[in-house]
Amino acid sequence: MVTFHEMKEKGYIPQRTYAKLMIGGGVTLTKTLLLNPRDLKKLRVVHPGEERFVRPPRPYEIPPYHAGMKCGVTTEKYLRPTLFCDPCAPDIVAMAHALGAFQKSDYEYTKAAFEFVKEKLALEIVPMNPVDETLRRGSGTCFHLITVFIALCRAAGIKARYKMFAMTMIKSWYDALVGADPLVKKWYDSMGYFMIEGEGEAFVDGKWTVAHVGPTAERQASAGIPITTFGEDSIGAWFFPIPGTIMTMESIPYGLGGSTTLLKRIAPASMERVNISIQRQEAMGHKVIEEAGGVAAYDAMARKKLGPKGPSIGLTKPQAISFEG
Amino acid sequence: MEQPTFEAYIKKFDGYLQKYFPPKDAWTPADEAVYKPHDLYRIPLKEAEDMQLRSLKWTFNYQYTNNKMYQNFCKERNVSPSDIKTTDDLVKIPLIPDTFFKDYPTGRDFALWLGNIYTGTLPKIVIKQKDPTFDEVINAFNETGMVVSYSSGTSGRHTFIPRDRRTFNISEYTIVKSAVAMIYPLWDYSMDGMLLMPNPKRTNVYAGKVCTIFFDAIHDVQVAIDRDISTDLIRMTMSGEKGLKSSVVQYFAKRESAKMVDLIIRWLENHEKTEQKIALVGAPFILAFVMEKLQREGKGFNFGERGGVATGGGWKAFEGQRVPVVEFRRQVEKVLGIPEKYCLDLYGMVEGNGWMAHCPEGHYLHMPYSYYKGLVLDEEYKPVGYGEWGRFAFLDAAAYSYPGFISSGDKVRMLEHCPVCDRPGPVLEPEVKRAAGEDIRGCAEEVRRMLSSDLSSGE
Repeated sequence: MVTFHEMKEKGYIPQRTYAKLMIGGGVTLTKTLLLNPRDLKKLRVVHPGEERFVRPPRPYEIPPYHAGMKCGVTTEKYLRPTLFCDPCAPDIVAMAHALGAFQKSDYEYTKAAFEFVKEKLALEIVPMNPVDETLRRGSGTCFHLITVFIALCRAAGIKARYKMFAMTMIKSWYDALVGADPLVKKWYDSMGYFMIEGEGEAFVDGKWTVAHVGPTAERQASAGIPITTFGEDSIGAWFFPIPGTIMTMESIPYGLGGSTTLLKRIAPASMERVNISIQRQEAMGHKVIEEAGGVAAYDAMARKKLGPKGPSIGLTKPQAISFEG
Repeated sequence: MEQPTFEAYIKKFDGYLQKYFPPKDAWTPADEAVYKPHDLYRIPLKEAEDMQLRSLKWTFNYQYTNNKMYQNFCKERNVSPSDIKTTDDLVKIPLIPDTFFKDYPTGRDFALWLGNIYTGTLPKIVIKQKDPTFDEVINAFNETGMVVSYSSGTSGRHTFIPRDRRTFNISEYTIVKSAVAMIYPLWDYSMDGMLLMPNPKRTNVYAGKVCTIFFDAIHDVQVAIDRDISTDLIRMTMSGEKGLKSSVVQYFAKRESAKMVDLIIRWLENHEKTEQKIALVGAPFILAFVMEKLQREGKGFNFGERGGVATGGGWKAFEGQRVPVVEFRRQVEKVLGIPEKYCLDLYGMVEGNGWMAHCPEGHYLHMPYSYYKGLVLDEEYKPVGYGEWGRFAFLDAAAYSYPGFISSGDKVRMLEHCPVCDRPGPVLEPEVKRAAGEDIRGCAEEVRRMLSSDLSSGE
């Protein structure tokens, strides 16, 4: 039984920004759903002859677990188990050891964990579940994938946490498709609150290093963007969060699990269509990479298109600026 | 009345705007390139090229010397002022992506961010709040005489630019001088104006703020939106944000918009009865709403050559209702009776101080090439030649308080000369588009799109 103190300590209780987004989103979406109950049917029906989602086989083996395999979890913040994230689950521990836990340097290990999660686990919209289930299935939402990365880090005794943020809309897509259809706009806008994306962060060599494990190289290629490397932040490059919404968390907060389960209940057909669409993107990305002459060639080409990075800015305090109070 | 010569016309105009001129003995090459030419769009090419090189060399050196952040940025790219010797070298000047100015922290860190991107010596700024809003920080800066302003942030994020008074004066002076030069001989100090923008004194939105000079350029100005406009208010009205507070704000904004349209129509009706010259200046979508209502009610005016329309700032949240510039001009002529030659659009950005203005003959966007160099970049951010479509970038010698060497998100085509008029400098095609952005979709976005599309399907 989790005590209230523990809930607060581990961040199970949502932070203010997160809670605000979820409550606001819940109210708006409920209102839209209540006013348009007939639309709900469309989320549930898979039409005859429509393509069905078939989960591809997991592209890796889970090594056997042996009693006595070390798990690096302690009671320290960012090293302990949290919601959906039990780093000492046998499959997680076994995978951590296979990736080089307690053998490689912290940097080498977290990089290996990052590459494993990013390239071997597929994006699939499913309800939240314990982290070892995700590893066995080989797929999940970005939060499932981040949780696997975090569990692998904590299993190796490396602190890890979530970084979440609310996204602004993608203007080009919004103008072209959403803006043109008032019905799409109504639904799209009411779901705006749920635009929470995330990354993982591992504490390596004295600093938090970001791990954007969500998209595979193929998905990034299908969008025409470079392939994220370990330590490379998606924020400011292709994700532009709403200022003030970036949150770091030790745990997935209460509410996220419930909302994904609810989504699956009310919109099973739509979820299936999302997953089929993701598979198509993967296939398209595969073709793009092949045509470019491989991952490295594609990445170099995409980085050129991304343009030069902006200046780096350290927030030093100019003498002329003073703060009162 | 006899038509004044262009020189006399501009001399008279400059006479009213002397407070926007720095003292002549303190002119830099950038000031000279801005204030010296009578017509920014008719400078002989050789003379303009010399001015452009001199002013950009000077400003690049100034930014490099006085802005640590930009100096480091240049050092990383192995470029220093000594590398810029000829016009061909100007493309070596490192460009800052416009997204850089959209990536800012909140609270007190926002004040530090502004302080760190600022070039030169900051005045003394006191932030009194523990967790200040964007507006509170901006107001603290602006109390010192600076003009920090921002874009409307249609995409959910504003662009913030810290201008000192000198830079802002150039921005204001050139916007109005560009329009006045292009509508020659229409401008007259005694004309009446309707500003289709928020009251510049009650907002820090750049497109509104930069119109402060309108009050000095003509004798009587009425504003269409005369209330305080804050970053929060803009976010709630422009971004389609949901929630109780936003819904209330959007409801009142809608009501205010209806009142604003009526106010503009009344103003037009009153001026129809006079012989007074008029100027409608500001956002095209506001005038489009006015013309739509007039057409619905079967009304129209015939201001003829005593009326002028200058638009700018784009369609913002009303992108879906955008009317192509050609069609917009035709509507203006049909509904207001103002000839197409006096209906001009100006293209500028919050990050820059150069205004590309439509010529009355062909409505191509002319560049102020004595202090501002436009570039078109290909997909790999390399400059391309005239006639190619690409991403717009510019080198702005008039930006003193921040580095104005910027690549934008706009897609343009630049031509060496205007195909219609005889002004010698480069032009952009009349309509500017948005460059296609990278379309990364996180998992939440995937779900959102599919649900939106399923829910709204006709089945």
